[in-house]
Amino acid sequence: MNSSIIKVAQSSFTTTGIIAKCSPVLASQLHTSAPLCRVVSGKYRITKKRDKPLTYEMANPPHYIAHRKSWNSWNTSTLQGGLRRSETALEDEFIRRFMTGTWHGLVCSEVIIKRQFNHIRVAAIIRRAVSPTKMYFLLGYTEELLANWLQCPVTLELQTVDSFKDVVFKYI
Amino acid sequence: MSLFIRNYKPNSLATVYNTKLWRLNSTTTDSALKKDEEEEEFRVLDILKKRERFQRRVVRRTDIQPDRADRMATDQNWGNVWPGPKTFHPSSVPLPLRQGYVPKGQAPPGKKANAELMKIPNFLHLTPPVVKSQCEAIKQFCTEWPSLLNSEEAIEKHYPVEVITSDYCHASPTIRNPLARIVTLRIKLSTLNLDKHSKDKFIRLVGDRYDSTTDLVTITADRCPARAQNLDYVNYLLTACYHEAWNVEEWEKDKTEDDMEYYDWNNNTSKKALVNWHLQTKNENRTLNDDEYKAFDTSEIPYAEEYKNAVSSWFNDGESDATVKNYGEVVRKLFGLPEKK
Repeated sequence: MNSSIIKVAQSSFTTTGIIAKCSPVLASQLHTSAPLCRVVSGKYRITKKRDKPLTYEMANPPHYIAHRKSWNSWNTSTLQGGLRRSETALEDEFIRRFMTGTWHGLVCSEVIIKRQFNHIRVAAIIRRAVSPTKMYFLLGYTEELLANWLQCPVTLELQTVDSFKDVVFKYI
Repeated sequence: MSLFIRNYKPNSLATVYNTKLWRLNSTTTDSALKKDEEEEEFRVLDILKKRERFQRRVVRRTDIQPDRADRMATDQNWGNVWPGPKTFHPSSVPLPLRQGYVPKGQAPPGKKANAELMKIPNFLHLTPPVVKSQCEAIKQFCTEWPSLLNSEEAIEKHYPVEVITSDYCHASPTIRNPLARIVTLRIKLSTLNLDKHSKDKFIRLVGDRYDSTTDLVTITADRCPARAQNLDYVNYLLTACYHEAWNVEEWEKDKTEDDMEYYDWNNNTSKKALVNWHLQTKNENRTLNDDEYKAFDTSEIPYAEEYKNAVSSWFNDGESDATVKNYGEVVRKLFGLPEKK
């Protein structure tokens, strides 16, 4: 069973390789241009009216990490000899997506994930657009579901703001 | 009244809304409102929209409590406010914190809605008074250090076996780390009860695990998955090596001088020459066999012990200026020659 899957995967891989060579459309889907990434990624264009709101996190491009802003994920997996590198990265991404989806349109900052032992602390700045009752429900709901999926205690440590304007650092 | 003015707009939708409002009100107010509408027949063109600007009011929400930090007493117990590790929360920390990089001349962003402050791990739960009180609390579980183990030497004497393991602290759902299984056992060879033969055999058995400069035998095990198993295995290895060292096999008697790992003066021709020279000086003409040579007590010969040490150190430690010089001095003493000037 496994070997057949591998064979299928290999054949599909070779065919895609051939297709990629032949057709420019398919080949361009794999876009790895390092210099472009360096210039563009994590940076925002200045608008004509200078009215695009940026948070502090957005205002500082990625090369300022550890200089002007710190990381959004805090764990020991990236240290030398750290365990569960890929799992941690994937779980963090999952938590981020789940948070932004569950607190839909309410998350005003990046979702900060800090891990201490087996405890996951998720911090975020939330807009006070829904009633406190709903917020309490969402809080318990998120903690319970994440704890079930990740099999470790999850704590949501939220800070609330009146509106998105409170987290705006500058307009460009 | 003010509500009415705000909502009044000259289109059908607004009027419908207004009529609905009237229906909800009592009859007396109803008539009054009607009267007002008649009075405001002509609308004022408000170009600058001054009226709207004045009427915009800040909506204060009643369900939001004021900051906890504002109501805190100055002599409160901070450990109760912040009992454990927690992400920074501005309304519980009565400190005027600021964090963030800004161009020169500007103030960094304040503590509210500041994600940077939430990112960095804080130690607000480990203030010196809290640490002190926690230490006091766990003191009852501590026992006194044994008074006889007051020095490193005493500890080494009573507990010669040293077991080294590592614990790992990780931010992950599992507390297990495969590296924690490795167990290292260290013991000074001199603390083991070994005689000359067994010591030699023990060193040969442990091989490069023995460090002759520090006299330490280091046995490391990592082949079992659990630490307890490795610990057992290390103990087993030490025990097995020790008892094996005391065993004397039949073939060990076949060891010749060529197999010796070090120079033994008693078994070599140097002793024979010394004994022969000694017997000749005493005018004794005896022929001894090998065993008699080996068993010959050289303590009656003056400077024989020093001669033995000098020759042994030359062969064992290698030829150097010091050993050669020492050998020369000892030979002069042995033959009763004057010392070198």
